[in-house]
Amino acid sequence: MLTSTTAVYSSYGLAVLGALGVYLAMPGGGRRRGVPALLIGIIAAFGLMVLLLTQYAGTTGQCVSFFVLATTSLLGAVRVITHARPVYSAVYFVLVALSSTGLVVASGAEFLGAALVIVYAGAILVTYVFVIMLAQPSDSEMLTRGGPLDYDAEAREPALAVVAGFLLIAVLGGMLLGRSWPAAAASESAAVGNTLGVGQVMLTRYAVSVELAGVLLLVAIVGAIALARKIVSPDPAARPPEGMAVGEIGRRVKPF
Amino acid sequence: MAPQPLMVIGAVLFGLGVIGFLTRRNLIIMFLCTEVMFQGVLLNLVGMGALHANLQGQVFALFVLVIAAVEAGLGLAIVVLLYRRKGTLDAEAWSALQG
Repeated sequence: MLTSTTAVYSSYGLAVLGALGVYLAMPGGGRRRGVPALLIGIIAAFGLMVLLLTQYAGTTGQCVSFFVLATTSLLGAVRVITHARPVYSAVYFVLVALSSTGLVVASGAEFLGAALVIVYAGAILVTYVFVIMLAQPSDSEMLTRGGPLDYDAEAREPALAVVAGFLLIAVLGGMLLGRSWPAAAASESAAVGNTLGVGQVMLTRYAVSVELAGVLLLVAIVGAIALARKIVSPDPAARPPEGMAVGEIGRRVKPF
Repeated sequence: MAPQPLMVIGAVLFGLGVIGFLTRRNLIIMFLCTEVMFQGVLLNLVGMGALHANLQGQVFALFVLVIAAVEAGLGLAIVVLLYRRKGTLDAEAWSALQG
């Protein structure tokens, strides 16, 4: 157990290390830096786990499951943002979703875990994979290049983005590690069980919000149908077509 | 186990999603990075709920799940329209207003 100041400064050091690893893992630049990036990333993730597990004690089983799930989640997230092929990014996101679902279940939220698996790994990811396949470049550009396209293979301003993101991570993590928290009380759901407890809270205290969420989903369905029926003419020259003003492009086409 | 490690992992996931959103140029991957950010927020909500020993964090997380589903459906519909228009998923194909 470190003092809180030491913990905060070690988390800053780990953030710098992680930033280096993510920067090296970014696609582009014409260099192959996968192995050092992987090593630095594993060291940073391992250090973060050691720091968290020394600061907050748990039983051995809890510590082992947290270690495995959290490391998988973080390294998977790094691969989501750095992989040059969209399909692989989507598959790594499945890994992130499943392992963070494991973390959620391990902290006692079984109902939310089931909902996460069904909605994220089941529905949202299938939508992403469908769209990735629908929007494949139809020409032989990818075949002639023999690899990912330009806009996948070259990251945009990786250094600045990594600095900004890890500054945010360092500030948030340092704040979480540095302050003292009140001891966690006994859980509200321990008496009635998680699913029953969540249902009771959601359908009594937040009943109006549930209705609003339903209305939102309905509006989204109508909007998605309206968008999908829209006929869009291709615009290879990236200019407005002949005889059409710029402001007119979207208005000629009726959704229904 | 205390919920603070969960919240730290959530913060790191959120930051990684921000980095991905800023650096990637593929529209689909940018949306995928927002999903990574959603995962971070979900972990934080669950951790906060555990810290305060109530179930509201989990209920909020369920509402965030609804928002994530809506965002994925509508956002990807727009991405398909943009792809039909320009024939590329490059976000920079749409940078008409360059400062």
